Amino acid sequence: MSYAELCCFSNFTFLTGASHPQELAERASDLGYRALAITDACSVAGIPRAWAALKDSPVKLITGSCFALEDAPPGAATPEFVLLARTRKGYGQLCQLITTGRRRAEKGQYQLFVQDLETHELDDCLCLWQPPSPIISDADQALACGQWLQRLFEHRLRIAATRTLEAGEDQQLARVRWLADDLRCPVVATSSVNMHSRERQPLQDVLTALRHHRTLETAGHCLFQNGERYLRPIPVLQRLFPEPWLRETLAIAESCTFEPGSLRYEYPPDLVPENETPAAFLQRLTREGERRRYPNGTPMKVQALIRKELVLISEMRYEHYFLTIHDIVAFARSRGILCQGRGSAANSAVCYCLGITEVNPANVELLFERFISKDRDEPPDIDVDFEHQRREEVIQYIYQRYGRERAALAATVIRYRPRSAIRDVGKALGFDAALVEQLLDGIDWRDRATNWRQQILDKGLTRNPKVADQFFTLVNTLLGFPRHLSQHVGGFVISAGPLAELVPVENAAMEGRTVIQWDKDDLESLGLMKVDVLALGMLTAIRKALALVSEEKGEPFGIQDIPQEDPATYAMLQQGDSIGVFQVESRAQINMLPRLRPETYYDLVIEVAIVRPGPIQGDMVHPYLRRKHGLEPVDYPNDEVRQVLERTLGVPIFQEQVIKLAMVAAGFTAGEADQLRRAMAAWKSHGDLTPFRDKLIKGMRERGHSEDFAERLYKQICGFGGYGFPESHSASFALLVYVSAWLKRHHPAAFYCALLNSQPMGFYSPSQLVQDAKRHQVTVLPPDVNYSERDHTLEGPDNHLRLGLRLIQGLSAQGAERIHQNRPPQGYRSSSELRQLAGLDQRDMEKLAGANAMPGFTRNRHQAYWQLLEHEEPAELFAREARQNGVQEAEDDYEAEPCDYLPEPTEGQNILADYSSQGLTLQRHPLALLREQGHLKHCTRAEQLKGLKPGLPVQVAGLVTGRQRPGSASGVTFVTLEDETGNVNVVVWLETARRQRKPLLTARLLHVKGVLEREGDIVHVMAGKLTNLSHLINSLPVSSRDFH
Amino acid sequence: MLWLYLHFPHLLLDHVRRSQPIENALVIVEGTGQHVLQACPLAQDAGIQPGMRLKTALGLAPELHILQADQQQQAQLLEEQARWLYHYVAHLTPAPPDGLWAEVSSLQRLYGGLAAIWQTVEQALAEHQLTAWAALGHTPLAARLLARAGKGECSADKGHITHALAQLPLTAAEFDKTDCTRLNRLGLETLGDVFALPQKELARRLSPELLATVQKIQGTRPDPRAPWQPPHRFRQRAGFIQEVEHTQGLLFALQRILAELEEDLCWRQQDTDTLLLVLQHRHQEPTRLRLRTTGPEHRAETFMKLIRLKLDQQPLSAPVVSLVLVVRRFISREAPGGQDLLGETQDLNEAWHTLISRLQARLGEQALTQLSPRPDHRPEFAWSAGEVKRAKNPGEVNPQALPRRPLWLLPGPCPLTETPVAWFSGPERISGGWWDGQRVQRDYYIAQLPGGQLAWVFRDPQNAWFVHGWFG
Repeated sequence: MSYAELCCFSNFTFLTGASHPQELAERASDLGYRALAITDACSVAGIPRAWAALKDSPVKLITGSCFALEDAPPGAATPEFVLLARTRKGYGQLCQLITTGRRRAEKGQYQLFVQDLETHELDDCLCLWQPPSPIISDADQALACGQWLQRLFEHRLRIAATRTLEAGEDQQLARVRWLADDLRCPVVATSSVNMHSRERQPLQDVLTALRHHRTLETAGHCLFQNGERYLRPIPVLQRLFPEPWLRETLAIAESCTFEPGSLRYEYPPDLVPENETPAAFLQRLTREGERRRYPNGTPMKVQALIRKELVLISEMRYEHYFLTIHDIVAFARSRGILCQGRGSAANSAVCYCLGITEVNPANVELLFERFISKDRDEPPDIDVDFEHQRREEVIQYIYQRYGRERAALAATVIRYRPRSAIRDVGKALGFDAALVEQLLDGIDWRDRATNWRQQILDKGLTRNPKVADQFFTLVNTLLGFPRHLSQHVGGFVISAGPLAELVPVENAAMEGRTVIQWDKDDLESLGLMKVDVLALGMLTAIRKALALVSEEKGEPFGIQDIPQEDPATYAMLQQGDSIGVFQVESRAQINMLPRLRPETYYDLVIEVAIVRPGPIQGDMVHPYLRRKHGLEPVDYPNDEVRQVLERTLGVPIFQEQVIKLAMVAAGFTAGEADQLRRAMAAWKSHGDLTPFRDKLIKGMRERGHSEDFAERLYKQICGFGGYGFPESHSASFALLVYVSAWLKRHHPAAFYCALLNSQPMGFYSPSQLVQDAKRHQVTVLPPDVNYSERDHTLEGPDNHLRLGLRLIQGLSAQGAERIHQNRPPQGYRSSSELRQLAGLDQRDMEKLAGANAMPGFTRNRHQAYWQLLEHEEPAELFAREARQNGVQEAEDDYEAEPCDYLPEPTEGQNILADYSSQGLTLQRHPLALLREQGHLKHCTRAEQLKGLKPGLPVQVAGLVTGRQRPGSASGVTFVTLEDETGNVNVVVWLETARRQRKPLLTARLLHVKGVLEREGDIVHVMAGKLTNLSHLINSLPVSSRDFH
Repeated sequence: MLWLYLHFPHLLLDHVRRSQPIENALVIVEGTGQHVLQACPLAQDAGIQPGMRLKTALGLAPELHILQADQQQQAQLLEEQARWLYHYVAHLTPAPPDGLWAEVSSLQRLYGGLAAIWQTVEQALAEHQLTAWAALGHTPLAARLLARAGKGECSADKGHITHALAQLPLTAAEFDKTDCTRLNRLGLETLGDVFALPQKELARRLSPELLATVQKIQGTRPDPRAPWQPPHRFRQRAGFIQEVEHTQGLLFALQRILAELEEDLCWRQQDTDTLLLVLQHRHQEPTRLRLRTTGPEHRAETFMKLIRLKLDQQPLSAPVVSLVLVVRRFISREAPGGQDLLGETQDLNEAWHTLISRLQARLGEQALTQLSPRPDHRPEFAWSAGEVKRAKNPGEVNPQALPRRPLWLLPGPCPLTETPVAWFSGPERISGGWWDGQRVQRDYYIAQLPGGQLAWVFRDPQNAWFVHGWFG
């Protein structure tokens, strides 16, 4: 006798199911079940994982879903039932019903009514009805409910009988028998499964308590009476159920023939002209692109590459994928939206010709085959970055081109991480919330030496070792459980037919966005295509900078017009002068640039990838630098390794290289290497790399590599986990690094102007960018109602950077626009004229006064403000009239009476007011003022530090603009101080930090006594004594960016 | 008029500290636990400020003790302060959550000068182990602002006070936030700068409310503060010229006092449920009797019955020279519970109350408990015997959903010694309670024993059998 479980929640019924779909699948397989249905509440989100686990198993996976309606048929109990998909058609019907229920309700909920069941086609679904218990409704209501379902499902209705050994079961079984008799409907056995094993009961109870917002102590009858809702061994079931009921499960399993693997994705055919095949069309487009890219003839090498790629694409039938991306990119181009593809498939010769990427295949050797592999039947992956301010246009284009029925975003499954798991388990166990927060706060997640479990114990969560064990067991089990579905950053799924027949669609938190119920990995395992439409701030900035350069030159100027391999640009980067430059502007990168000294495009590709956890944890940075500068010989153990590592002088830097190394140096098969890649991607959340460790090290030892090298490679693999940075992405990014660096070097005014207009983006605040601009000889002018536009602009023949009105915090966008549009030729002459012509309300006027943006007709900001406070009524109506009638006020009206009681603003007051209204000042830096006042007597300025000898004791002071504890440098805090000449990097060792927490954590103006350290051009101050000087700038609203 | 303002910067913290010495820094956090509300001096030394994020505070002092704010307790504490201050000062106004006004001009003569008052208050504060910042002012607001800024001095000199006020930064003036920003934008930094502006302009360009506040600080606009009254309590004493030796002798006096109590309660529209009767003896410690009714009550007759029962139960230990009846607990009257036309429920409820009151008076309060169901799957935790409740509210357990249980549940399971002759239902599996160390894993059955009794038996995971209860 065998059995099929037909009613089973996975943990994709959030806070209800207590086991992963794959755990359920594996257990069903161990127990010898014939089939297992995963039937989450109005969802099929758990199906792909169960499918992946059961693909090669004799256990059949049945797709279904469980529903409880919002209302009831007249005189009947509220129906609760499971629907199972019999065929592909039934699966489509199920998905449609789920979509209806989900789309109607708020994110995470569903609502279905009697009406929906009556109007939706469900003729290829089976219905298992769970009759209401005698406590909830009387016999008549139950019968009426059954009759209604029977009318809808006819012979496809079954009555589900459950035996969980809870109180009242006898009565329920009696009712089931009576209903079966009366309705002449077969009964089928189910276990109402919530978990794969009985051992999960504690977690099941915790989840139930959380769902009801209670603690276990107070959850009472909300909890199940016992832990019987698990996948029980067949002999147990045989004792509990009559044989016909068990046999019925098998009959149903037999009749459900749908399997998720049969879901075939159909590419939208829209893009291919009628009389052409997709392959021919792609070939034609590629050829056209080739002519554009290589007007003097395509190099032979590239020609061969293109031919090879096209063959491969056509073999795998991926033409539609490339055509779809080409279509989106072409749309962006037509709208002047800058975009660039990345990923190994993106950096192919075909994509270069199609304009998807600018990476010239002649320059980089890329392994196109790797992502489109014949062995693995998986779709290629291309990410396309768009300007962040205009990505929405692209998204809307996709919706409009394919319709909302055929395009939706992929989901991202948000899972329990240590922090949330500890918080929730603590809540259920009734721990004091403040205590738990305190614990969480004190944990150093990166401290690998003492894991968080020990850290929590050290902090005294509980003295009872049993409670502690229980707590950690629960937390560990809960880790990786899905919590809810969120929207993927930009992965679109586009289908040929209605998407809702392929996968249910539900609402995202964001208005007007819909997501499918599967995430990236699920799509991959089912072989569905996803197009990544991502947002990138730097593309916005580059497009704006290019527009300004074009204006200056009087002719269009694009990326292709930028000269390649410009020595001046590399010289700038080698000095670490990279604030604002894409990817290499962080503190760590600024320190790396002078050490790596990039001279070519490929150096930039390495630069982008090297300051990452992977190479750092694998200790690959120093060997690479030594080899690059000829301090260490470059050697290879054998030719195979040479092939993999030659580009990077024998040191593995990129993710691709590490995986390839696992193959050539440790003997991994292609399949194993691929598993390793997936494990790396999942490592951060729930993956486990330890199984690979032994194999890797053993394999490498056997092939004659040193144990040390093998260990380092393994560490690097761990470091890549979750932060993997492949060469194919680095290559695309490096292009943008070069473009932005070139702009900064040769057109600084346009560069900073564009950066400021693209905020928020990047690493630095507008204040830091403006200071850097001034250091690069850009003249910066303050916002002024008579000169500024809303955006920042370049002014006059000398390209002065005029700050725009957008900088004024709180000023309305429309107000700023009107100030510019309605400005009379001679400029505004009084605040009342400004108010009237620009139709500004009091709030906007006050913001302008606070920013001192009316220097033309007000004596100072205090007086400007005084005048404004006189009348408060909005003047918009009058503004129009005044313009229409051409009313001109008498000249002497413009003079306003100054108020004698108000003080003249001091320099300090002006600086403070600038900071609070614009976040920056063009006047002297506050530090210059303090220095003049004699507060910083022995302090060295940032720029002077470079001229000092290392090892000297120094004193520095500055505004704290950053506090950072990077993961790769344990225990060290980096503090960035800003003075009037630049930034000072302060390094605070753990011990120093511990002893001086107060100044370190609270100071906004910090004084540091320390020792100067220098390596090449990189200057640090090793902190000794820290002093908080914040009282000197008490009201200065400087915000520090703290990274913990 | 001269006002004294006391500002308690960390009242709750002081209170916690004085009841229990704590060596670590201590903070009070708001309900959600995100921000610090009060920080003790030790915490402030570490750099912790009220309003700071708890995260930052913990960064500064990892060993920090954290307490959740309790508004009710804080209000109670403030009232306590008002109560002792009331011994010295007649006109008193609390400024919740953390301040008190006292009108002191009338006291100067009584105490012999300002310095003496100041000293008296400071001494009292020290005795209560409380930190308070005090200040004097000619208007309530002036005193408050100076106190909260910590700028108070023992001086009634108007010039001196005005000068101190003028030095206060705008942020200390408790102006409306918008007004404060605006004044700042005008370049004004101190309260003195605001005083210097023409009042007409102040009202016109800023706000009339701002002007009103300024005038209240300066004293050109009245700012009456209603005097605080200590909360009501009922206390009546009866002295006996001849010592009373028998209970009977007390009743006459009690009758009068209880009638007065009823009148007092009726007038206030309040009830009580607790009386304290103190009987004083000549050579002995007084006898203190606490009498509780089962529900809110105001009728002298009911009180009298209760007292009689109590006195019957507990004869006088010595002759009584005087008695005092005190009521401290007052309960607002609710609308009558039963709305049915015939008033049947009302009668039932009353009968219930009366019965309970009598039983409690006769047997003692502890002797009487009430059984009620508790939502727990484990049978031994599925019921509770607790204090007798006033109303028979069903609680959160739906009686319909309750499983079938024996009427007689044994205090603990007993080993099953006989082999049952018949089995009626089961198994019902109960597994739970793993979280509190009282884990239960049992299969229950209803079985008939050879003697004919219907037993509730179970089997544990070790396959041992127990009887846990008997069905009728």
